[in-house]
Amino acid sequence: MKKQDKKQNNNNLTFLNNLKKLPFVAVVFLFIFVCISGFAESDKYGGQIVLATTSDPRSFNPVLAKETSTTAITGIIFEGLTRTNGETLEIEPNLAESWEIRQDGLSWVFRLRNDVFWTDGKKFTADDVIFTFNELIYNPNIPNSSRDIFTIEGKTFQLKKIDDYTVEFILPVKFAPFLRSMSQEILPKHALENAVKQNKFNFTWGTDTSPKDIIGTGPYQLKEYFPGERIVLEKNPRYWRVSKDDDRLPYIEKIIYLIVQSQDTDLLKFQDGEIDYYGLRGSDYPLLKPQEKTGNFTIYDTGASFGSNFLVFNLNTSINPKTGRTYIDKNKLSWFLNIDFRKAVAHAIDKQKIIEILMNGLGYEQNSSMSQSSGYFYNPNVTKYNYDLDKAKEILKNAGFFDRNNDGIIEDKDGNKVEFNLFTNSGSTERIQIASIIRKDLQNLGMKVNFMALEFNNLVSKLTSTFDWDAIIIGLTGGIEPHFGKNVWDSSGQLHMWHPKQAKPDTEWEKRVDGIFNQGVQELNDKKRKVLYDEWQYIISEELPVIYTVLPASIFAVRNKFGNLKPTPYGGAFHNLEEIYIKKECRK
Amino acid sequence: MINYILRRILVAIPLLLVMSLVTFLAINLAPGNFFDSLKLDPQFSEETIQHYESLYHLDKPVIVQYFYWLKNLLKFDLGYSFFYNCSVKKIIAGRLLNTLLLSVVSLIFTWIIAIPLGIIAAVKRNRFADRFFSLISFVGLSIPSFFFALLLLYFASQTGILPLGGMRSANFDSLNTLERLFDIAKHIIIPTLVISASAFAGLQRIMRGSLLDVLRQQYILTARAKGLPENKVIYFHALRNAINPLITVFGYEFSGLLSGAALTEIICSWPGLGSLLLAAVRAQDIYLVMASMMMGGILLLAGNLVSDILLAWADPRIRYE
Repeated sequence: MKKQDKKQNNNNLTFLNNLKKLPFVAVVFLFIFVCISGFAESDKYGGQIVLATTSDPRSFNPVLAKETSTTAITGIIFEGLTRTNGETLEIEPNLAESWEIRQDGLSWVFRLRNDVFWTDGKKFTADDVIFTFNELIYNPNIPNSSRDIFTIEGKTFQLKKIDDYTVEFILPVKFAPFLRSMSQEILPKHALENAVKQNKFNFTWGTDTSPKDIIGTGPYQLKEYFPGERIVLEKNPRYWRVSKDDDRLPYIEKIIYLIVQSQDTDLLKFQDGEIDYYGLRGSDYPLLKPQEKTGNFTIYDTGASFGSNFLVFNLNTSINPKTGRTYIDKNKLSWFLNIDFRKAVAHAIDKQKIIEILMNGLGYEQNSSMSQSSGYFYNPNVTKYNYDLDKAKEILKNAGFFDRNNDGIIEDKDGNKVEFNLFTNSGSTERIQIASIIRKDLQNLGMKVNFMALEFNNLVSKLTSTFDWDAIIIGLTGGIEPHFGKNVWDSSGQLHMWHPKQAKPDTEWEKRVDGIFNQGVQELNDKKRKVLYDEWQYIISEELPVIYTVLPASIFAVRNKFGNLKPTPYGGAFHNLEEIYIKKECRK
Repeated sequence: MINYILRRILVAIPLLLVMSLVTFLAINLAPGNFFDSLKLDPQFSEETIQHYESLYHLDKPVIVQYFYWLKNLLKFDLGYSFFYNCSVKKIIAGRLLNTLLLSVVSLIFTWIIAIPLGIIAAVKRNRFADRFFSLISFVGLSIPSFFFALLLLYFASQTGILPLGGMRSANFDSLNTLERLFDIAKHIIIPTLVISASAFAGLQRIMRGSLLDVLRQQYILTARAKGLPENKVIYFHALRNAINPLITVFGYEFSGLLSGAALTEIICSWPGLGSLLLAAVRAQDIYLVMASMMMGGILLLAGNLVSDILLAWADPRIRYE
């Protein structure tokens, strides 16, 4: 406090001194201002931004690790040939400055930028692109999920170097999400070649690597990493991108990620002014909203987020080879397979109540398989199931489910009590709360629901190998490209949870959805693609293999010190990080 | 004596082997393995996950996995952490010092406070000082450490005197050595208080009880009857005899050096082993869990040995043959 007072006094003194010279100073200032007004805009450089993350990065190797804790860091160190604009969701050039499609979509020729340097000073060329694909992603000794994306019907892309700055990709079949998937990070050949040759790539660029050895082309480079404490990234002086005003980007000097162990510590640190950004849970809103002015921050509500939570019933009609019967009790299976049963359940779920109780009103009902925020392919015109208990009861009654012996629990046609188990994973309090609300809702319908929260891996093994479950509440992170969810929607997919890995589609509608995904991936015309994926979302809403609940709003609080901030639900607050600058008065 | 120590160390080896086997089997009782969490990610194909599993022998029977682990251990290789994509040795080394710093500081702090207060409480039995310290001890014993930590963090956020968790400030690099030391000292206050609160209480009660026991002995009466001054009676005759239970406690506390502070570390964002191991257990990162369990086991055995040796040194009545 004392120090500050002194400073104030000093300022006052100089101000008084200056007052005497005011006319002169004013003239000089006016002159300078007129002279340099052209440059005045570019005084945006410097400053630092402090963020928090609740877990350590697992690696600095973007081919090996894909968790958000890792990609939050690798996403700013490395770049791909294209990128998705965080605001418009369009694909825009990145390391490739342009591209052309040949042979009806089977060949894509990328023209690379020739002004890109790796952080160690070497030039970025076509060899790096070819190395990343041929030696890393397609290397059989390196397990990675990118290979799954870039392998279509068992066939890989062929890469051809035309010259140092031109690469041709030859595809086995047409692949509509090709351009979007080209955001795959490109890694430097000169730095990693030896590791690949010695078969050590799987252990390269882990978190124990010296920061200066991690070489990228992105706007920032790794400076320091203290496990469990913080990650410091500093501006890459060789970064190629320039702003519209010809400023060399990025503006901000340093990015510091503090690693905190819990979201509550994160919140306290944000309130304390130590960090500049906080992603709100619905329950934090009433606490933070009144502090906006005093805490000098703004809360942005950008709309629905992408992470869905849904209820799924076991519709697995396959026979368990060990027992010779279905995986679950055949009575239960017959209820779940009954579409009226699922529709009644959908009508009985009070989504508004979930939003009110869990999210303080800051959530959105989800009806489509894609989030409202996913842009072009989102279909709002699907069948919606409003909360209506009477209607739900009526549907059940017409389908033969009602209370026959007045014990408060409904029975099916054969007199079996409708009782089943509902699971979710114990790690997510949000899902546990949703489950208990849904359980209550279903009890109102007269169903007896036994709820249990299981350890995540236990739940996964039920979903993917033992199949001994009745109903589960689980979620998936969505995206803007429907094809990347193929593993869920295709009836042969491992994540086709209600009936995984079918040899051939069990129902007519599953057959149609398989057809849509096979067609959609090869359809290069966006309008025609949209028609297909619209139909898929409609079918899911009609057949209800999954019953969607709510999407939390994507809300976050950001300190009022940034310029060029354009928050969106897809990109968050800092998707245009390199263009964001810190306002002069907030820079120290 | 040296014979005795050697024998104890020899006995420890089969003990550790059995312990490691039981631990390994117990970890593998939980359904699934580390890579199961990838199965719910639409971007991973089954083949990729199987590839990962075979890379680390997770597709083999548990007992075979155990021997792979044991074989590597003999080469001083603690295995590979799937979760952090890094060798277990490096990860633990990175965090070990931080945890040791916190544990040792709070251990010293606890003992420095608890022993004198225990003595005072015993000497001034049933007087105000005794009652007051008893009250503090009972509060310290009964308050859950995570709650106490949250209370202190709240206090810190309201007053702004102390930093909110972590071990270093964001501007740590720009400080000089003295300022750095001061910075860490500032960060260590809250976790130290939290750990000491409960440890202090127990220790103070033990010190008080055991000193009271001794003060009732005939030889204290003799000492007083000889006309020795009261402080000589207490510090030379009584304390020397009352210290034995404390040495045993010390042995146990030794084993908690690495794991005792886990909960506090997690809440105070202290970059130690606690949060690392919690994440490892939850993700079934087996080699990291094994390494930490083994360290805990070794420390427990070592702690017991150290306290036995200390006992023999402190009390001439105790001899090992």
